[in-house]
Amino acid sequence: MQAGIGTEHDLLLQQKKKNMNKKRLDTWLLLLPTLGIFIFFFLLPLFFLFMTSFKNFDASTGVGNEWTLQNYIKFMSDPFYLGVVWRTVKIALLTTLITIIISYPVAFQISRSKGRARNYLTLLVLSPLLISMVISWVILLSNNGVVNTTLLKMGWIDQPLTLLYTELSVVIGMVHVLFPYMVLSIMGSLEKIDPSVIRASQNLGASSFRTFFSILLPLTLPGVFAGSVMVFSLSVSSFVTPAILGGPQVKVMSYLTYEQVAVMLNWPYGGAIGFLLILIATITIIAYSKILARSEKGVAIQ
Amino acid sequence: MSYLSLENVVKTFNKTEVVKKLSLDIQKGELVSFLGPSGCGKTTTLNMIAGFLEVDGGKIEVDGKPVHLLPPYKREMGMVFQNYALFPHMTVFDNVAYGLKLRKVPKTEISKRVLEALEMVRLDGYEKRYPKELSGGQQQRVSLARALVIKPKVLLLDEPLSNLDAKLRQEMREEIVEIQKQVGITTIFVTHDQEEALAISDRIAVMYEGRIEQVDDPASIYNHPKTDFVSQFIGEVNHIQGKVLETYENKKCKMHFFGNEQIVSVPSVKNSEVHFFIRPEKIQIALAESDESFQTRVERKMFLGAKTRYILKVQDRHLIADISNTVINPTEIKEGNSVYTYWNPEDLLPSRMAR
Repeated sequence: MQAGIGTEHDLLLQQKKKNMNKKRLDTWLLLLPTLGIFIFFFLLPLFFLFMTSFKNFDASTGVGNEWTLQNYIKFMSDPFYLGVVWRTVKIALLTTLITIIISYPVAFQISRSKGRARNYLTLLVLSPLLISMVISWVILLSNNGVVNTTLLKMGWIDQPLTLLYTELSVVIGMVHVLFPYMVLSIMGSLEKIDPSVIRASQNLGASSFRTFFSILLPLTLPGVFAGSVMVFSLSVSSFVTPAILGGPQVKVMSYLTYEQVAVMLNWPYGGAIGFLLILIATITIIAYSKILARSEKGVAIQ
Repeated sequence: MSYLSLENVVKTFNKTEVVKKLSLDIQKGELVSFLGPSGCGKTTTLNMIAGFLEVDGGKIEVDGKPVHLLPPYKREMGMVFQNYALFPHMTVFDNVAYGLKLRKVPKTEISKRVLEALEMVRLDGYEKRYPKELSGGQQQRVSLARALVIKPKVLLLDEPLSNLDAKLRQEMREEIVEIQKQVGITTIFVTHDQEEALAISDRIAVMYEGRIEQVDDPASIYNHPKTDFVSQFIGEVNHIQGKVLETYENKKCKMHFFGNEQIVSVPSVKNSEVHFFIRPEKIQIALAESDESFQTRVERKMFLGAKTRYILKVQDRHLIADISNTVINPTEIKEGNSVYTYWNPEDLLPSRMAR
């Protein structure tokens, strides 16, 4: 009898184990296609890029045969290149800051609206992701563009302002392209807030203004941080927007990489710049997620 | 002199009146329950008192001063919400201290009053915890402490116990009444649970479709319901009808039920049909026949612990009778047996139905 129970128990355990293995297999099967693409088209090239960045430049073949740290040393010791790093980070920080400021009210309004208005507003916010509007900024900001001609006609300026191919135009374009990420992220955290928490604050004597700063803002900080990580890293590594709205006048790291690889055909140096860019993005993401983890400590998903 | 008074309060949503000219006077220190089914306007009324909704007509006064035009943060009312509504990013201490900080109370006094409030709800030692580290019952106690620490004029409780499990719910409701009496604060308690309302209230306002059907102490509500809705909503009822055979003076009449005659005190017209309600526990059964009883057949029997519920069939009607197991041993009666059913005519609750 005892033995009978024992074997039955063992059988049950075995069955359970089998089921679990099967489950694990299922999970991997579902991930396989994506994982394949990820490995072959992302990790592998990244690895080769990394290796290439430690090779010397050979004028005839592009990539030489010797191992060297020269690419990194060259970059770090040249004020011009360091200036580009600073510009890239500055543009990304400015973009992040401006998107936070303009996205919060939008997210707040959308999270309060209902039904059809909500759908239209969301669609409007998502539109920069659906249609690329970078070219339209060229039309607006160029020397004989809409903004300059209007200002000239109004007589407010005598000469066209240099708006295009400046850091300003890059930031404007970047904010436009990236602010949907921020809005969606802040909306997500606003919607997690229980409306009665807001009422509780008012009931205890806090005005709407006070409630915003004591309750709403702290509770949505995780969303703001998450949005900032996305916007910052997308902005640091963005190529099309700075290339079109900044051009060679406003060089950022992605542009430098492109220039080295496609124009100079200096693959090792391009690889090194590209890798430093990835490093900057990774460091910020790690720093942000550390802050995020700390700020979420009290914020319960009840 | 009432402390909190509602006078002809009206609330309209999309052209439908959800609260219809509601008036109610509440004494200082009284605990009044708003009891009704969902959609009866009880929470809407509470939100108007708290200031989260504007009144569309009428006025609300506290201590003789109108408050219905003030924003919620100037009304000095403490509210406890169904889902606790604690600030998740603040510790228990900061949650309770929130209202005091807004009132610019000096720091030493804040910490003294917060600790006192936490002690009152038996949560001393929990100051440094975050809400998510507490159980539902503890969270609701923090919420109560947070509402009371500001010494509000009125305490508003919006279904505070409905997210708790049954046993905890009973404990908490006793605790709430105890604290309420100890502080002596005027309290409104919104609930859809009649047992809860009967157990804790000084008075119950039974609400239905935006109106107060009856305001009375729990016993009167249960024993002398004034409307059909109150009879049917509070407790269970059997619906019976009888024919008036003869009418007497003093509003009495002789009536005919299920083949037996009774003198009932209800104003009526001869030969008319009169409707009554009777509560299951007021129906009696016996194995032997008597003058007042009529024969019924036991269709089903449900053992409920202290009592047994019998579903009795008479003519084409069903009656539900709850009989204490100490009065009749349920093993003596089998399904399909005949039993003799009777009741005391005074236990009949007159109905306005079909009159």
